[in-house]
Amino acid sequence: MNNRTWMSRSLAGTAVITLGLTLAGCGGGGGDASSRPENELHLAVYGDASNKVEQAMVDKFNETSDVKVVLDTIPGADYQTKLQTIIDTDSAPDIFFNWGGGSIANFVKADLLLPLDDFIEEDPQLKDAFLPSVFDTAVVDDKSYGIPMRGTQPVMLFNNSEVLKKAGIDAPPATWDELLEDVKKLKAAGVTPIALGGADQWPTQMWFQYVFDRVAGEDLFQAALDGDTSVWDSEESHEALGKLRELIDAGAFGTNFDSVKFTDGGSPTLLSSGRAGFELMGSWAYATHLDANPEFAENVLGYSEFPAIEGGEGDPDNLAGNTNNFYSITKDTRYPEEAAEFLKLMYSDEFVQEQIAIGNLPTTTNTEEFLDQASNPEYAKYQFDLVKDAPHFQLSWDQAYPPEATVTIHTAVAQFFSGQIDEDGFIKAMQSL
Amino acid sequence: MTTLATRRRPAPGGSTVSRPARSGASSVGRPGFAWALPATIFFALFALVPLAAVAVLSFTSWSGLGDPEFVGLDNWKTLIADPVMLKSLWLSLLFIVLGVVTQTPLSILLGVWAAGNQRNRAVLSAIYFIPLLLSSAAISVLWRALLDPNFGIPGQLSWLFGDGNLLGTQTGAIGVLIFVGMWQFTPFHTLIYQGAAKGIPPVLYQAAAIDGAGMVRQFFSITLPQLRNTAITSIILMVVGGLTTFETVLILTNGGPGTDTTITAFYMYQQAFRSFDFGVGSAIALVLVVVATAISLVVVKVSGYDKMNSSLEGL
Repeated sequence: MNNRTWMSRSLAGTAVITLGLTLAGCGGGGGDASSRPENELHLAVYGDASNKVEQAMVDKFNETSDVKVVLDTIPGADYQTKLQTIIDTDSAPDIFFNWGGGSIANFVKADLLLPLDDFIEEDPQLKDAFLPSVFDTAVVDDKSYGIPMRGTQPVMLFNNSEVLKKAGIDAPPATWDELLEDVKKLKAAGVTPIALGGADQWPTQMWFQYVFDRVAGEDLFQAALDGDTSVWDSEESHEALGKLRELIDAGAFGTNFDSVKFTDGGSPTLLSSGRAGFELMGSWAYATHLDANPEFAENVLGYSEFPAIEGGEGDPDNLAGNTNNFYSITKDTRYPEEAAEFLKLMYSDEFVQEQIAIGNLPTTTNTEEFLDQASNPEYAKYQFDLVKDAPHFQLSWDQAYPPEATVTIHTAVAQFFSGQIDEDGFIKAMQSL
Repeated sequence: MTTLATRRRPAPGGSTVSRPARSGASSVGRPGFAWALPATIFFALFALVPLAAVAVLSFTSWSGLGDPEFVGLDNWKTLIADPVMLKSLWLSLLFIVLGVVTQTPLSILLGVWAAGNQRNRAVLSAIYFIPLLLSSAAISVLWRALLDPNFGIPGQLSWLFGDGNLLGTQTGAIGVLIFVGMWQFTPFHTLIYQGAAKGIPPVLYQAAAIDGAGMVRQFFSITLPQLRNTAITSIILMVVGGLTTFETVLILTNGGPGTDTTITAFYMYQQAFRSFDFGVGSAIALVLVVVATAISLVVVKVSGYDKMNSSLEGL
């Protein structure tokens, strides 16, 4: 072996790492409708347990239609990446699952999506059958691009009622001061007051969404999203960050939250095993606990709204979280009419019943009639009323912004919580978006 | 079969031919260019073409939607001014150094031991080897669960780990990644050293024993020098492996806390596939290529590996 072979070997070895990138870059260029398969509509969805409802809807549609819908499930963790890679190619789906808001903004900007307003004019139910606060999440530049599917996922403050009782807390906190008071009592009782899966970063972000909304109201974030980043440096923003700092410094989250995850069961187990009093989490937490520890979910798990903040401008009934998931139609589809016809199933009674049966909470106006069939009707009703009565439902920050902002937001919230950056550092990070 | 059976003990480095008849005029028996053609085509297709494409992409702005837009040197300017990029390079170098320092002595010792013929050696060697058979993702998930601060090992050994915030501090997170890397890759390097140690002619040891050298002296005066070329191979593999460490970072720390374990390969993934900025991602990939090539060449040059003298010369 001589020098040159070794050189090319090292080159070869190192060039392999660039391969993944380039393969992903082989797409490009939009296709026209005629290159798409005949009598087929491809439906791309996030692959998980909810797929059986989607399959049921597809089967129902295919019974009567000549154009058949084909369900393509993409493993959850790769969904966003895969979608972004194929959506501008000939293999783009005709209909696809998304989170509304920022998750489709880039597609709208690239003129890849079909506005649904004409279909809604023909069949007003496509809009009127859904709760308005949810439907509006998929409105971009005053045009509708998505029809709600699956269920709503507001973020709530869950608690371990036994731990609270032992610490001398009678009811979940209704105000911020009560929350701080409860933190003291729980610390005195020797447990971590609030479980937090800080290693996942998005659970940390949930605290920011609510505190900013309660202190400054929904307009601050909306203004920032619309491009006025100076609002991050406003008095309200500083006040919200101060409130969060106060809570962190009070030891509310313990010291090792950066090593705890929600996704591997770390933080939920803290709550269910009685080692923590509260956890702020999306409504799916009930299903998570029901799966891991049914007895705890049914008898001990408590839930309440995020506390009000005294003197804040935001309505205490405002919610944050995932408003819902949506179906959007790509512009290049060969069968737009049939696709719109398929979307009408999303407000059908069968759809609502199927979703409720697997624990999801659909956001059609008639959902209320079917809540008795839910696995926990009381919880379903509580959640549905929260969503129905919310004056504003703030889509999670990382979904409201386009995907390229996610890393910056997640890093900033995590660093602020662990003390790596201060208020100014956080503001600077958010202003860079 | 008989020829195979008699060809025992392959020399380290794979070849005993130290000086091919390069100066001789005759080219009889030397392979022609056609023999290299298949490999050359594959190399061009899967290494050079993508490399060129990445180089082009690094001068564009592209989110994966529509056509890439040419932006000149913008991505490079962004990277130069980006503190995370510089930090990621330092972290990558730190990972390489710590990886080599922790894995090399251990795998030499294990490899030399495993080359002997003690009792139960084969069984123990097989056990050592298990981590290498698992995928990096599985290993990361496993250690993630074992290191849960409340319900894993740190929760049980609080006198040692304190509050168990291992993955929440920079030193803790780097320590965990280095440890898991060691746990995963030491078996592989052990295997290389084992093969090389088996190839050392016993006659050397016999001669040393006659001269009165003990085990320690034999190890330092015979075994270590004989393993030199193997060590270089092993270290180069560690360097390239350290530069491209990815799954363990993604699953164990996600680059955190903050950006404290965001090494260059992970940063490239983050920019390209999380932030959908393929231009900047490609630029980072090119930096990786250059750095890895430079380091490999330096190792080859400094170690004299390019000369490839056989350690069996004179025997």
